[in-house]
Parts: sequence; C-alpha cells; structure tokens
Amino acid sequence: MSIDFWINVGVLAGIYGIFTLGLQLNAGFTGLLNFGQAGFMAIGAYTVGILVVDRGWSLWLALPAGIVLAVLAGLFVGIASLRLRSDHFAIATIAFAEIVRYTLQNAAFSGGNQGVLGFDAEWRAVSDWMLPWLATIGLGAYTQLPLFIVVWLAFVALLLMMKGLQATPWGRVLRGIREDEDATAALGKDVFAYKLQSLALAAALAAVAGFFVALNVTYLYPTVFDPTFTFFGYALLVLGGFASYGGVALGSVLFWTLLEGTRLIETSLSAGQQASLRFIIVGVFLLLISRLRPQGLLGNVNEMRVRP
Amino acid sequence: MSADAILEVADAVKDFDGLRAVDGASFHVERGSITALIGPNGAGKTTMFDLLSGFARLNTGTIRFAGRSIGGMAPHRIARLGLVRTFQLTRVLAGMSVMDNMLLAAPSQPGEHLPSLILGPRRARAAEARSRADAQALLETFGLRDKARDYAGALSGGQRKLLEIARALMTQPSLVLLDEPMAGVNPTLGRAILDHIAALREQRGTTFLFVEHDMDVVMSRADRVIVMAQGRVISAGTPAQVRADPAVVEAYLGSASPETTA
Repeated sequence: MSIDFWINVGVLAGIYGIFTLGLQLNAGFTGLLNFGQAGFMAIGAYTVGILVVDRGWSLWLALPAGIVLAVLAGLFVGIASLRLRSDHFAIATIAFAEIVRYTLQNAAFSGGNQGVLGFDAEWRAVSDWMLPWLATIGLGAYTQLPLFIVVWLAFVALLLMMKGLQATPWGRVLRGIREDEDATAALGKDVFAYKLQSLALAAALAAVAGFFVALNVTYLYPTVFDPTFTFFGYALLVLGGFASYGGVALGSVLFWTLLEGTRLIETSLSAGQQASLRFIIVGVFLLLISRLRPQGLLGNVNEMRVRP
Repeated sequence: MSADAILEVADAVKDFDGLRAVDGASFHVERGSITALIGPNGAGKTTMFDLLSGFARLNTGTIRFAGRSIGGMAPHRIARLGLVRTFQLTRVLAGMSVMDNMLLAAPSQPGEHLPSLILGPRRARAAEARSRADAQALLETFGLRDKARDYAGALSGGQRKLLEIARALMTQPSLVLLDEPMAGVNPTLGRAILDHIAALREQRGTTFLFVEHDMDVVMSRADRVIVMAQGRVISAGTPAQVRADPAVVEAYLGSASPETTA
C-alpha cells in the first residue's frame, strides 16, 4: 500500500513539475505573472479527451492537437492582455482560466459537470504492455508505475530542454525583459513578441501536464482545473526557487511529499481537521522558507526581481 | 536645415495631462557631431529624448532620423535603425552579468529568434563568439573588463553609468542619446567617458547628443549646443555663439535653478 501511495505522490510531483516549468519560464525568467496556467492545462486536457471520445482520434494524435490549441489560447490571451501592467496582466490571466473552467462546466461539448470519460484505452494498452516487463524486475505489482515512469521521463526531458533554451541568446532576451523591459526595448528587442512567445510556450507545457492529468485521473471534470492548481504551482516555485529549473523539480517533490506525507501522521483529529492541518503544515513551511531563504531552495537571489 | 543632418526635429509638440512639455521645438543634429542639449530644469530635455527614442509619442510635428520619419515608431524599431539612448537614472539589468548586459545589446543575433536558433545553432554560436569579442573590447575601453562576470546589480553607481554607455555602443549605433552621462560619476571617470566619446566619434563617425548640466563640460566638449527653455528651442550654434545669445542669458537668469547656472 505504502509504495503505491508514494508512486502516486511521484506522479503528482512530475505532473506539477511539467506544469510549473511554464510558470518558471514566465515568472522566473520573463517577469510575467501568469495566473492562468490551469486554464491552458484544461484546454490541453479537454482537447485530448474530446477528440478521442467524440471524434475517434488516436490519443497520440490528440496530444499534439491539444498542445496546438493551448498555444493558440496563449497567443490569444497574450495579444489581448500583455499590454497591461504586470499585476493587471495577472488578473486578466486568472479571469481567462475561470472563463475556461466555467465554460467547460456548462457547455454541452465538454459534458458539463459529468465531464469526459473513456479516452485512455490506448494509454492502458501501453501500461499493460509495460507491466509484465516491470514484473521481470519484480515491480509488476504497482499499477501506476508505468505512468510514473512516463511522466518523469517527460518531465526530465522538458526540464533539460527548457534549461538549454534558457542558456541561449533567446533566453537572455527574456531575462532582460524580466529585469527592465524599457531598457531591453531601448536595445532593439521586440519586448511584446518575446512575452508572447514565453506565454505560448508555457501554455504548451501546461497542455502536456494536462495530458498526464487526464491519464492520471482517467476522467476529466472541470473542478480538476480550478485556480488552486496554478497556486500550488506558484507555491512549489517559491519552495524550489525562482529562476532555476532544477528548483522546479526539487520544489515539486518537496511540496507533494509534505502535502501527501502529512496524511500518514497518526492523530486523534477528524478527517476534515487533519486535511486542514496538512495545509497548515505546508503553509508554515512556506513561510519559513520565504523568511529564511527568500530566493527558494535552489533559487538565485541575484535573479529575483524583488530582492530581499 | 543642414544638408548633413542625421536628425531633424520640426515643430515637435508633446502634452502630458494638459501640461505642454515640448511646445513646438525644432532643431537638427549634424552627422558626426558631438552636440549638447542644455536648458533649465523643466525645459523639456528628457521629454525630447523620450520622443526621439520612441518612449513618448508626438502630439504633432515630425522627427526624421537618417532621412526616415521615426515619429510614432516603437522604441525597439528606432533602436534597430541605429538611434539608441541611455537613461537619466541608469537602467542596468541588475540580475544579469555585466557580460550578458553587453551581449544582449548585440545587433542581429540569430540566436535570439527561435526559428533561426533551432535551424542554425552553429550560426548563432558564431555570432555569439563575435559579439563576445566586441563586448570584451568595449568593456576593456570602459575599464569594466574585470567585472564581466559580476552581476550588474553589484556595480557602483559610476560603473553602472559606464556599463549603460558601453551597452548602448554595443548596438553599433549611428546616433547615441546620453541623458546626463556625467551625473553621479566622479570627475576623473567623467573625463574618461568624454574622452571615449570623442575617440569614438573620430574612429567610427558616431554622432552624440547629450544632456548635461555642467557648463564647463558643455562648452569644452560640444561642437554644437542646442538650448531649450519652456519646451522650445531658443538657441542653437557653437558654444561661443550660444554663450553670447541674449535669449540664452535671459532664460538662465530667469530660472532659479542654481545647478544650471554653474
């Protein structure tokens, strides 16, 4: 039981890691407060679900379609609201994410609150193919292990890609915008175009995370994609550190270990009280981190826009 | 208008919330010159710089740079045409290394665009190596070579000023606008900056337009002086001509600002 439990925690940490790579790109490296990441994720996940269930697409073709649609949504949100000041932009993005969620909750095409079910047959085929193979090394009993492996392979690959991209002259322009967009424009850089690219790329990462959320929960319903998802992303960003992709991985593992590990504490509290206690513990830990190490565990204090 | 003007401003007007900051200013800057823009506080000098560099938009009037109309153009487009500015309050990119500040300013780096970065990574790397050599040479000139790896946020005020000017020059500009390049810089360093500017004008033919309050500097270093007061250009000419102009004397005596009468 316990190993299954921790495999599930690992799946969550990996999914949130992919999701938060996009937030790191936006907030940590471009200075963009994107609070609509859950909306992009919902678009990616629902596109996959609907294309497979209603249109009979292959799951593997629906994934790139979901990414493309999330990117288009990112471009749309960016063109509509990137000219706003940073905090106003943050509000516009959260409004976008809520529009997406309420639309999914009420529209016929998304199945309303019943959601979308039955899109993961092709994934289960892959999973069933992996399990006997895992059994040969004695790990066949853990049914979520294939998802864990695939999620973490994707996470590590995307993390390395983002790290590589950040080291290029393209990534340098983003950091210039984070530091001072007027000064960067004065050097001949098209600030708007770069912000748009940053947002679109984050939306693509959100769509990949949404794909794995869909495989993990096996059916899609709107409340999965409420804004809390984005705020958890920011919480683990604070934990792991700004302007560090490695920090995203560490932050995600730590955040989910704390949040889920505290389930295992034996107390005499009611289930509801214990659930609240878990969040209190995580909250206190976050406060301690921001007091003792404001840049986060692996963050770079010199690259924090708001310096302590 | 002079036949060899790199910059021509005609009847420029700029209002801010009912306040007329620039009120029909007209002047030109000769190619290859070092020109000073002076005037009492509130004369509209910084607003003029904002208009020239695209950070503020003209209400009426025209600005022509190297024969092209640039009024209303976005700042990054103006910068790409070769007109770059520095800011009155230095704006180094504090969370980036001094070298990265310089490399960011390099013009036409293919690695800054995702398609060319992905399709031609080798070309991007070659351009990066060339830029790095150029940046190192400029940092050497400005005495910042040892600081290349430091975060720009760790530099002193004077060093930041130097970095900002070096970074502007890294864009290979034909006209550089310097907003109070000497402010907050010790006199020795200030003289060094002015020597670099004079040398660059000789070597590359770069044109400089600078706002400065120190009249000794203006009179000894500028080829031409443009005087603004209350949003208009009230005089322009050689330092000697401007100094002898009664309108200039009146504008300065009429203003209570002691720093401008130095």
